[in-house]
Amino acid sequence: MILRLIARRLLFLLLVIWSASTIVFFIPRLSKTNAIRERFAELARNGGFSPADMEKLVASYNKQFGLDNPLWQQYQEYLVNIVRLDFGYSLNKYPMTVTQVIMQAVPWTLSLLLVTTILSFLIGNLLGALSAWPKAPTWVRTIATPFVLLTGVPPIIMGVLLLFFLGFKLKWLPLGGSYSIGLIPDGSWAFFVDMMIHQILPALSLILGSVGGWVLSMRGMGITIQGEDYVNFAEHKGLKGRAIFRDYYLRNTLLPQATGLALALGTVVTSAIVVEGLFGLPGIGLVLNNAIRSNDFPVIYGIVLFITVAVATMMVLMEFIYPLLDPRIRNE
Amino acid sequence: MADISLRIQRPGRLWLTWRYIKRNKSLAIGLAVMLFLIAFTAIGFMVINPKHAYPLSAAPRQAPGLKYILGTDFFGRDLYAAMVVGMWQTAAIGLVAGGLGTLIGVFLGFVSAYFGGWIDTIIKTVCQILTPIPVLLIQVVVAGSLDKRDVTIMVMALIIVSLGWMGTTLVVRSQVLTMKERQFVAVAKLSGVGSMGIIFKEIMPNLLPFIAAAFVVQVFQAVFASFYLAVLGLGPLREPLLGNIIWSAQGQGAFFNGWWWWPIEPAVAMVLILGSLALINMGLDELANPRVRKTE
Amino acid sequence: MTAKNNIPPAVFAMHRRQFMLTAAAGALGAGAAPFTAFAQDAAAAVEISPSTPMAELPREAQAVLGWSMTSPVGVTNPWAVPGYTHQEGNAFMWEPLMYFGIFKDDYIPWLAASMEYTSPDFMALQIKINPAAKWSDGVAVTAKDVVFTFEGQMKNEKLPYHAAFDQFMESATATDDLTVDVKFKIAAPRFKFEVLCEKFDTGIPIVPAHAFDGQTDVNAMMGGAEMPHSGPYDLIAWNSSQKIFNLREDWWAVGAGLIALPDVKRIIISNLGGQVGQNMDTIAQRIVNNEMDSALDMRSSVIGNILAQNPKITTHTGNASPYGYLDWWPNSLWMNTQLAPFDDKRVRRAISLAINRDIINDTLYEGAKIATIYPFPLYPGLQAFVDSPEIKALEEKLQPGLYDVDASAALMTEAGFTRNGRDLWEKDGATVNCTINGFEGIHSDIVPILVEFLLAAGFDAAVNFGTNAYQNMADGVAGLYMFGHGASLKDPYAALELFHGRFSTSIGTSAGNNRFSRYSNPEFDAALDIMAPLASDDPKFHENAVKAMEIYWSEQIDVPIIQWLHRIAYNQTYWTNWPTTENLAAGTNGAFWAHTGLLVISGLKKA
Repeated sequence: MILRLIARRLLFLLLVIWSASTIVFFIPRLSKTNAIRERFAELARNGGFSPADMEKLVASYNKQFGLDNPLWQQYQEYLVNIVRLDFGYSLNKYPMTVTQVIMQAVPWTLSLLLVTTILSFLIGNLLGALSAWPKAPTWVRTIATPFVLLTGVPPIIMGVLLLFFLGFKLKWLPLGGSYSIGLIPDGSWAFFVDMMIHQILPALSLILGSVGGWVLSMRGMGITIQGEDYVNFAEHKGLKGRAIFRDYYLRNTLLPQATGLALALGTVVTSAIVVEGLFGLPGIGLVLNNAIRSNDFPVIYGIVLFITVAVATMMVLMEFIYPLLDPRIRNE
Repeated sequence: MADISLRIQRPGRLWLTWRYIKRNKSLAIGLAVMLFLIAFTAIGFMVINPKHAYPLSAAPRQAPGLKYILGTDFFGRDLYAAMVVGMWQTAAIGLVAGGLGTLIGVFLGFVSAYFGGWIDTIIKTVCQILTPIPVLLIQVVVAGSLDKRDVTIMVMALIIVSLGWMGTTLVVRSQVLTMKERQFVAVAKLSGVGSMGIIFKEIMPNLLPFIAAAFVVQVFQAVFASFYLAVLGLGPLREPLLGNIIWSAQGQGAFFNGWWWWPIEPAVAMVLILGSLALINMGLDELANPRVRKTE
Repeated sequence: MTAKNNIPPAVFAMHRRQFMLTAAAGALGAGAAPFTAFAQDAAAAVEISPSTPMAELPREAQAVLGWSMTSPVGVTNPWAVPGYTHQEGNAFMWEPLMYFGIFKDDYIPWLAASMEYTSPDFMALQIKINPAAKWSDGVAVTAKDVVFTFEGQMKNEKLPYHAAFDQFMESATATDDLTVDVKFKIAAPRFKFEVLCEKFDTGIPIVPAHAFDGQTDVNAMMGGAEMPHSGPYDLIAWNSSQKIFNLREDWWAVGAGLIALPDVKRIIISNLGGQVGQNMDTIAQRIVNNEMDSALDMRSSVIGNILAQNPKITTHTGNASPYGYLDWWPNSLWMNTQLAPFDDKRVRRAISLAINRDIINDTLYEGAKIATIYPFPLYPGLQAFVDSPEIKALEEKLQPGLYDVDASAALMTEAGFTRNGRDLWEKDGATVNCTINGFEGIHSDIVPILVEFLLAAGFDAAVNFGTNAYQNMADGVAGLYMFGHGASLKDPYAALELFHGRFSTSIGTSAGNNRFSRYSNPEFDAALDIMAPLASDDPKFHENAVKAMEIYWSEQIDVPIIQWLHRIAYNQTYWTNWPTTENLAAGTNGAFWAHTGLLVISGLKKA
């Protein structure tokens, strides 16, 4: 039974990966651009590059990267390579491989996104739950509203404003970069502190905008649960408000939100494109943005797959963890 | 006689709605902001010349003042005109993408839940498989791969809708599934109402609040996505979409140069649009859930 | 892959974080071959870190430069593909035979003590190498290295100057340790300047022959920190955030008396992230706050404000507009002269008449005279050319910069167009497809304005900043496109040659070498062919250059729009002696990312 469940979930995971990889394979090819030529184009327009014989160059790279094969053949090779976890070379950063490019960026994005997503998840859910909880003090219930309004503030504007006032005018916080210019990452405490200080503004511009989303969904959930019989029952049983809030209310609402958390990790990467660019953090978002703009297919595939697999895996893991958290499912 | 019958009549529908809205603060504020935005755009269109939303139509880099209430940008756009046109375009994207997404979602959700069997399995599985794929990421890839001349307002809406219908489908499906089991549907079935009849006469009306909420979510996501694509410079560049205005302001270092009004105005508009949608959504949650519907 | 294996293991000190990642990935993948391969690959995601702790240096001894780094970490070898890494600091490691100081209008001998044509018909050249020149590992720079460099370019198709060497160079021989004799296949009066001298982003550096010993694929060798180089700065650290170079005090050029020992002991290139041209206001803020000494060039709208907010910052023209110097890349609105209706000279002229250069100057550049009527930058040699009475007379006669919408309309009517319902010119049911192909990062200010000019004059204009813009230009699909003329620096030949008929292959075939012109005119070609083997001070050269200019303007081959300016902020809080109009310094332009960046940075003086 359990084995069958695991097998089904794994199949699901495979299907997710397959469809994501198929989508990302075909979409960039809708345009008839040649990534190699675009690469030289970028060089040319940045200051006058004189590639000797562009067509010869382009042809020789096309051959090297297999871009001159028929599409279905490229697709086949692509799938085989994915199974082998080999995403090939970055067109833009040859001779670096896609894996190298991604691994170089992942730590920056992970540290930024994990912290911001988890923080906004916690703040947002608490505020959301409280705002739907009739017994919460009024000020707590009203504090949620400004955050809801902030969801509309684009992270880029948030970032630009924070930078301009806190960084440029008041000089409280650094104006960008992942750590102070000229430092060498040496794993020391001083370096760690320096790095964290550089993360405050990018983190803030992500958190302020994303708390509202959690408030909304948690609130919706909370309202539904308030009507449930077991909450009414608990109230009639005479349980204290705080106990009901914690044991009946939070616990039942947090479960579905946890799935949302897994999904959110996928979408915040998109916000990271803007925020990392603005703050000059060399993370996944920046790499992806550069890759899209330079038609670096392999890197685009690599990143979209990387994120999809991460999100899907987390969702599946959540499903396995559910029964541990929720007695109802455990008994089924 | 007529007088008496009038007196014992229930209060009118409008009056009830009004009373309800007064209790449901989120809905009220959300709708009020939305009405304000609609009025801004509608009145705006009567006042402005849409041509002034495009470059070289006004003196460049003017701060808000008497001549240009919202100022002008680096390229000589009258920002008042640009905001009016941009707001309308943003709304158009939201409504088209949101509407289409909701239609697809409701249709698939219904089909899936009502007919069940292998149809249900397929639709459900496809939705579940597509859900973990980061939609915005794919949209960015799509928009980045298209020929720029092909990216019009409507194409943007279609890009957004192409991967934006799964959520609604799943919500509608689960709601229809629970309703199928409810007594009123069973009664209707027993009394020989056809499946179309059951869908439209019995299930649909009960689903409306959910569909409305799903629609609002869809519009929200569509506006957000279109804005996002535009901010990344992936939208139709000449159009004064709110995201485009911010994108071009960013490109010319507007804050640093002290032209604060240029990026701030579209940002405020965006906050109002998305904020009001979020508030309406909060309000609809209460409406859709009669058990917690506030009583007077 | 070979590249990784070629680097001595010492080059890449593995980072602790990566070690953990590798360990984790390895643990996960134990037993599964793909995972192990993946883990190995991930482990190779290396950075260059100093092998011993880096000495602390005061800020006053360091130059901090901002740049959007995109090249793969570890690539210092100038021959590595895809090449063109000199902009990201590698120019501080490599040196050419000679530099060219554009504002001094003179050669600056470097690895070569002299380089002279030895025959009057420009068929032979002799290079004498500076006897003091040494690589960083102490080995002397000899004629062998120069011959190796030349022969590499001749044989290796992947190197950027292969075509130029293939076209011109017959042979290069080392007659002794310090002398190289070059024989050309055809007269090559510009080869010394165009190829063998470094200026802006062109020219080649000399590479050490002994560093390539035993390499099977010279294009795949990354180079790392260990590759012997002749320049004074050694790569110390490189990761995705920054690239750090330390001065090597025994630089041969100091001993040879070419230059004083540089004050800049350390160069830090800070990665701004993003694409070139993005988020310039953050970068401007960092310069104003003295975090950076210089960074990539600014849009016109930002530079004035930088100066206003920090009096220590200057530009090429000091505190005066246009806050920069001419780059070699003046931009035209190019037209595909083989594509209807742009094959009609009247339509081309009508488009030119629709462009209001006064608005470009006043609105876009706040009064700076940026709009141009020439396809080349007005450096000293070219300024002299356009100041000649013949060119002045031509300008008077042909009015290449005229803005006259009525005249434009008259020409369109004459060409058979009528205004349609949308007030756009139309013929046989089709409007004039004036979609301007261009590049977002650098054209986002000018192209939207051009679109408005064209729309106002009845041309159906739009913008395409898509990733296919360049492709469209190369394939000849684009009717209109914004692009530079990266060509002339000293005389007009190279710019005019862009329109030579031999490059104008028919539509559907890609044009190489950024020569997208589809123009073909035997009369024009004849004038160019006469100029080719002549030195630019030859009277016959001038006579034919004037003739070609007359054809360029009267035929309206393209519409010159703007001069390209490099508006670079030079922060003098820590460093002075930046090259400006007041202070020539080494006579080069001040971009640290150009090949001549080494001369700029090594010439800085402590403030």
